[in-house]
Amino acid sequence: MSGQAIDEKQLIGTGLKKRTEEALANDFLRKAVAFTTDKLRTGKRQAMDDFGHWEEWRERARAIRKHVVENLDYYLTQFSDNVAKTGGHVYFCQSGEEAVRTFLDIAEKRRAKLVAKGKSMVSEEIHLNHRLEEKGIEAIETDLGEYILQLAKETPSHLIIPAIHKNKQQIADIFSAESGESFAPETKVLAGYARQRLRNYFLEADIGLTGCNFAVAESGSITLVSNEGNGRMVSTLPKCHVVVMGMERLVPSYDDLEVVLNMLARSATGQKLTTYTSMITGPRREGELDGPEELHVIVLDNGRSAQLGDPVFQEVLHCIRCAACLNVCPVYRHVGGHTYGSVYSGPIGAVLTPLLQQDMKEAGQLAYASSLCGACYEACPVKIPLHDMLVQLRARKVKLGLTPLAERVAFKTYQTAFGNVTLYRMAAKSVYYLQKPLIRKGYIKQGIGPLAGWTQSRFLPMKPKKSFRERWEELQRELKAQGRPGSGASAQGGDRA
Amino acid sequence: MSQGTIRGREAFIANLSSRLGRQGPPAEAPRHPYRGVPDFYKEIERTTEEKIEWFVNSWEALTGKTLIVDEAEAPARVAEWLVEIAKELGVKNVSRWEHEGLKALGLDAALQAAGIGVVPWVPVEEEGGANAGSAAGEAAASQEADSSNWAKRSELLKRTERCELGIVWPDYAVASTGTLVLQCSPQRGRSVSLLTSILFAVFRADQLVNRMGEAFAAITAGKRHPLDYASSLNLITGPSRSADIENDLTIGIHGPGKVYAVIIK
Repeated sequence: MSGQAIDEKQLIGTGLKKRTEEALANDFLRKAVAFTTDKLRTGKRQAMDDFGHWEEWRERARAIRKHVVENLDYYLTQFSDNVAKTGGHVYFCQSGEEAVRTFLDIAEKRRAKLVAKGKSMVSEEIHLNHRLEEKGIEAIETDLGEYILQLAKETPSHLIIPAIHKNKQQIADIFSAESGESFAPETKVLAGYARQRLRNYFLEADIGLTGCNFAVAESGSITLVSNEGNGRMVSTLPKCHVVVMGMERLVPSYDDLEVVLNMLARSATGQKLTTYTSMITGPRREGELDGPEELHVIVLDNGRSAQLGDPVFQEVLHCIRCAACLNVCPVYRHVGGHTYGSVYSGPIGAVLTPLLQQDMKEAGQLAYASSLCGACYEACPVKIPLHDMLVQLRARKVKLGLTPLAERVAFKTYQTAFGNVTLYRMAAKSVYYLQKPLIRKGYIKQGIGPLAGWTQSRFLPMKPKKSFRERWEELQRELKAQGRPGSGASAQGGDRA
Repeated sequence: MSQGTIRGREAFIANLSSRLGRQGPPAEAPRHPYRGVPDFYKEIERTTEEKIEWFVNSWEALTGKTLIVDEAEAPARVAEWLVEIAKELGVKNVSRWEHEGLKALGLDAALQAAGIGVVPWVPVEEEGGANAGSAAGEAAASQEADSSNWAKRSELLKRTERCELGIVWPDYAVASTGTLVLQCSPQRGRSVSLLTSILFAVFRADQLVNRMGEAFAAITAGKRHPLDYASSLNLITGPSRSADIENDLTIGIHGPGKVYAVIIK
């Protein structure tokens, strides 16, 4: 039975409520997420102010991303031709499974035992670590936050700061368990251990695996950004570098790269530029004394192409993975990333997950993990209308008949009642009488059914006997009787409504 | 350089074209009217003096340190500053690019006079350890030679990894962001700016540009083939950092944690 409970919790849609409850009950998590997102948000605002002309920049970044996505067939062809001209190898993979098998082939040919990973959401998306483990290949996450989580056997809860939910004591315990030494819960001590430990992995790894922030079509370059330098380490030291990239992660030229790099750093952390931005064009050249001898680039579709040509959702491919929408989302800020049950969390995760998985039943439930306030759209450096997409996803769910029966009946009733004046008036009247058993001193203090959720933390005022419309009519009659001006004009408006 | 391979492209691209409502990818490059940064941003232009100040402000905001020297005084003062830093931070070995500008400053002699070893980025005779010094011997002993990938790597790489300070001469420096722009080559290893815990960069004031895009424009100008580009181009903006432990800023997590820049006027 407990096994079943775990499975249900892991289902993206079915387990959503349970995961939400758990997150809300975790005080440390809520405080840590709120603190971090506040900090990132404030940093971004400062960076926007310093940079100036932010709306113009957003519009330019949007135009560039739109152009790339509308011409993906052209730019991917150009990009892959250029990678091949440098001696790199490119593999186009339709599915996650194909990408995993491609990677395993490369690893087996090199008889790889150790893979050092830079941060890569795509490798999480295709669950690569798990498959490497099955083959007896050790894969080490080298981003500090991801390394902590790997040791803790947990998953990231934020795109930029993955271990947002762990405190120093917990990290000290994790490192102590790993090393057999005992560590004080001090940042310096913990970071020092991680540096020395991870350095060894960088030096010994057979393969360095990274994602790709932006690929430049005109030169076949892979752009990686990281603050820690782990991205540079894994793409410099191991003899073989494998890149796994989402197929939309392109810009036409270095000119365009300047725009998106400026937007990415500022939107993600409020930095002017990420500490390390590396543009890798092919494997090491003749005469060079370091750098990987082999470069392999795996280009992944995995549900992305299904959005191309879609009038509503194509724009989701514009995303540059900055996580600014997470930091402003009132839902994310309360529940953190794990609640979403998906690799991508926050507003972008709620939209991207059902689309990539092409699953409206379970993953589609994430469209409800939103207040539709639109803060995500305002924060987005490439102006993706995430709030509209969330509504459209809900509509899709309704059209597919995937909403609960009670909800469908409720909305059907709502439609009938609100579509007819007489019915509406009758319904409004009947609410007054139906609520009576629940009223205590003018309020509903303990609701039943769907009302219970509301009254758990606040009272609901009772519906008064006379509606606003009735009172308005009375008022008008009184005014008319007194011969006051203005009563005639508003009477018209009143009638129409 | 042998040609690489491309697999699975035909069906993949055909699907994209069909989703985009056409037979195949456009034969000509698509019209791209919004290429690059907005016009107002291109108009930023400051004098060399202003660019120096701008760079210093950006660099120092990221905990970087700066020395500005006149050309005539450079050999004496740069070496002096470098040795002072090396001594203060307990540096025993220094790695450096094989670069004419650095050689002309006579840094090697100054470092060696202070008892600090220099590892230039040039091929080193493998094994034997005769030139490698005592540090190499110790490190080799601590490696499990058979199973270790690292033990099989080049002597130069191993020596560089043991250095505490790396010296580079960037191609450009970006004033607005405090960024060093480095292209690798056989004489300019990528490891030199990465593996040590201290980074020391020297460049001339006329290498300063206002913004990143000016450096990109200079780098891409006239390039037609991808092999015309350096295999690795790095923008370095301050020290290696992480905020992954409770949002506490940690400096020097993997790459250099202390960064120094010399601007020669």
